[in-house]
Amino acid sequence: MHTFYVTLKYTAVTLWSMFVIAPFLWALSTSFKDFNSVTSGATYIPWVDFEPTLEGWRVLLRSPAQGGVNIVEPYLNSIFVTCFASLISIALGTLAAYALSRFTFKAGFIRNDDITFFFISQRIMPPVVLAIPFFIMLGKLGLLDTLFGLVMVYVVLLMPIAVWIMVDFFNKVPIEIDETALIDGCNPYQAFYKVVLPNSIPGMVVAGLFCMIFGWTDFFFAFILTFTEVQLLPVAIVSLNSSITPWWSLSAAALVSVAPLIVVAFIVERYLSKGNLSGALK
Amino acid sequence: MSLRASHLTLNRENEFYLNDVSFEMLPGKIYTIIGRTLSGKTTLLKTIAGLITQDSGELLFNGSNFDAIPVWKRQVAMVYQQFINYPHLNVYENVAFPLKQRKILATEIDKRVKQALDQVGLIGFEKRKIQALSGGQQQRVALARSLVKDANILLLDEPLVNLDYKLREQLREEFKKIFNSKASENAILIYSTTDPVEAMQLGGEILVMDEGRILQQASAKEIYENPKTTKVAEITNDPAMNLFSGNIVGGKVILNSTIQLNLPAHFLELPNGAYTFGLRASGITLDKPGFPFQVELAEISGSETFLHLGQEEIHVVGLLDAVKNFDIGETVSACFDIEKLYAFGSDGNLMSSPYGGLN
Amino acid sequence: MNFKHKYMFLLPGLLVLLGILIFPIGFTVRLSLSSWDSFFPGLDFIGLENYVRLFTDDARFWESFQRLSFLSITTVFLQYILGFSLALMVWKEIVFQRFFRVLFLIPMMTTPVIMTVIWKTVFHESLGPVNDFFSLFGMTPLWLSSEGLSKVTVIIVEVWQWTPFMFLLLLAGLLSLPKEPFLAASIDGAGPIRKFVYVTFPLMAPISIGAIIIRLIEASKIMDTVYVLTSGGPGTSSETSSFYIFIKGLREFQFGYSAALSLTYLIIMIISLTVIAKMLVKLMIRS
Repeated sequence: MHTFYVTLKYTAVTLWSMFVIAPFLWALSTSFKDFNSVTSGATYIPWVDFEPTLEGWRVLLRSPAQGGVNIVEPYLNSIFVTCFASLISIALGTLAAYALSRFTFKAGFIRNDDITFFFISQRIMPPVVLAIPFFIMLGKLGLLDTLFGLVMVYVVLLMPIAVWIMVDFFNKVPIEIDETALIDGCNPYQAFYKVVLPNSIPGMVVAGLFCMIFGWTDFFFAFILTFTEVQLLPVAIVSLNSSITPWWSLSAAALVSVAPLIVVAFIVERYLSKGNLSGALK
Repeated sequence: MSLRASHLTLNRENEFYLNDVSFEMLPGKIYTIIGRTLSGKTTLLKTIAGLITQDSGELLFNGSNFDAIPVWKRQVAMVYQQFINYPHLNVYENVAFPLKQRKILATEIDKRVKQALDQVGLIGFEKRKIQALSGGQQQRVALARSLVKDANILLLDEPLVNLDYKLREQLREEFKKIFNSKASENAILIYSTTDPVEAMQLGGEILVMDEGRILQQASAKEIYENPKTTKVAEITNDPAMNLFSGNIVGGKVILNSTIQLNLPAHFLELPNGAYTFGLRASGITLDKPGFPFQVELAEISGSETFLHLGQEEIHVVGLLDAVKNFDIGETVSACFDIEKLYAFGSDGNLMSSPYGGLN
Repeated sequence: MNFKHKYMFLLPGLLVLLGILIFPIGFTVRLSLSSWDSFFPGLDFIGLENYVRLFTDDARFWESFQRLSFLSITTVFLQYILGFSLALMVWKEIVFQRFFRVLFLIPMMTTPVIMTVIWKTVFHESLGPVNDFFSLFGMTPLWLSSEGLSKVTVIIVEVWQWTPFMFLLLLAGLLSLPKEPFLAASIDGAGPIRKFVYVTFPLMAPISIGAIIIRLIEASKIMDTVYVLTSGGPGTSSETSSFYIFIKGLREFQFGYSAALSLTYLIIMIISLTVIAKMLVKLMIRS
């Protein structure tokens, strides 16, 4: 009976791993193909099934004038917008979460839980609901097609995540630690940055990871709110799709875009194994 | 220097956390607040620290209003029952924290931290991480941190309750010495506990709290000898004082049809009528002639045996100075020491005690 | 604890969020009462006309809504089953534990829209590897251009992309479970299945509910996948609410009408998610 379970487990894990890896392998293989090897039907192994070429990768580094697709600039834009919006969201989200976890707020029928819900409920909002008014608002502010405009929108997307994770985190930090800091002569601001903040780093890292993931993977807002001046990576890559579909450079670009977040996967796993995530995610 | 509370009241969702609490505390003394869990002890300590603001009533320190002073400016220190330290700092930094906050000279800080660590026996642990310490050691750090700043008021909220028995005994002895030297430096020490033994051992003044109210404030000896009400008698004795309702009729104490006791000398002045009688566990012995009781439970604790006995509706706990095994349901003969009998009125107030009654 | 500067902590975040959102939301409400479109741009006032049209004369919206419900409930259900199974498998002793955990997380780290572009090549009906495999059996399923299968393709891609998120939440939950109940069950001689039914599953119920709700919220926004994979087609057979609103608003520029759609949709979502949450709580806690 025991060996049966073990066999089942390893079979299932192997099958799922193959499912997970399959599209990456396919993309890797495709990135070395050219027009002929793509259009002649599905081929897999370089040198055996088709003659590999670096064309797909070279295109990424060439300027558009030379017939390339510039991916470097969208890449940097994506990094900038994701990091900047994540930082703002974590800074503001951590402060708000601390307030919601520690102090009592009352305004009419509104209590702490309602404010927390207001923050988190922004995630329920489908992007399309906000897209049109954002489009008009950023247009009026002259922020359409700018990095700053995007950062602003991304803060709305990411702050709920930061608040969600940090409220949970602070609720598990004993309030007696803050109280001790007050008794030891800190005013509430000092208690926050001298005692609470240094002990909140694990929670903030987790919140940061999640903000990065959701920021980096967003497409819709970048798609609607930028056109030519500023392009984010997903939009740049998808726009490759709409033309004659050069599968090779598309695949290469996709692999390049996925790479940095693989590092995030390792960090998330680290936190998971150390047990820091369980506290922050429950 | 003195700390005075007058009519402190705190009510949340129709529940009293503090109910008309008044007291006066003087430096150089240890004040022990004894009460069950949720009786308002922690709330009272936090109110004194300034972490909680009462709804009404006021706190006066040296005659001036204490309420206007925020926590971080009050000269108080507090040790919690959870072992609270700063997890991101090591032992030395933890103890130095309150001094750094006051911008004291580094050399002075060093001297005082060393001294405090010496007092709690943690010399050599300076560089340790808090997480690398045992519960007892963590609580020592917390104590050192509260000692180091020479606070006027030192609050200790059940500091030993989360430690195991052996360690608790040991620390209690050590802490008592530290407290006495601290108290002699003109500080007010306020110690809260649920444990009557602990309260009695610390000596000093005891405040008995229940449902946010102070039932009695007196010396340990006075509380032991003359508990003001049945509630106080229950809270300050372990096991709780046995209480029976009965009558004094015709020169006899009548508990039920079989248990009828002679009137002790200190009851002579009581008129006939209904009373609640109290007798400590130590006042019940297994002797003949006595009354027949069934053994309901026998608990052996150290060198003593707690014996739960029952006869019809009367249930008592006796304390034997020996280890002895009993069968459940076994019939024994129990003797009531009438010289140690208390009498409380129907309102629960003490009417007569073997020690002469309330002063 | 309470002190008068508490607002200094709360307000920066709250005001920034409100500041950015107040115009879009207010504007959407106002917009939904106007007939703004590409021919007559401007905020006129037509009362509830858009809403009347939406409730009486727009089968396509309600169909897209049904489709969305079907797609999101199916995918989240599959993600839960798969995510839970995977989490259980790498929870305890297994070789290469870290490797598998990292690997299983990776899809959620990738940009859905980009991976969907790759998936589109994978499912390409004449040049993709999937049909290369099926051609061995003489079949060429129309993954992207047949009404039934295009939904299946969307589901497969969504499951690939987001099962890791479910996996992450559930594994984090499993790792935080107390050890004692399992020990007790072992002592009572419970086998793996009984342990799961009587210990693991009940202990995981609150976490499961949280994870399912979070995923339902995110899944209800399904959009990128559909946009790239099928563009809602063939016909409207894989069109979801978001995508329909997107077409009305940003393709046909019926701003006023799409605003009314958005608000209706939002209200339905909030109500149904609350109801689902309550139902799940009842279901999971009782069993």
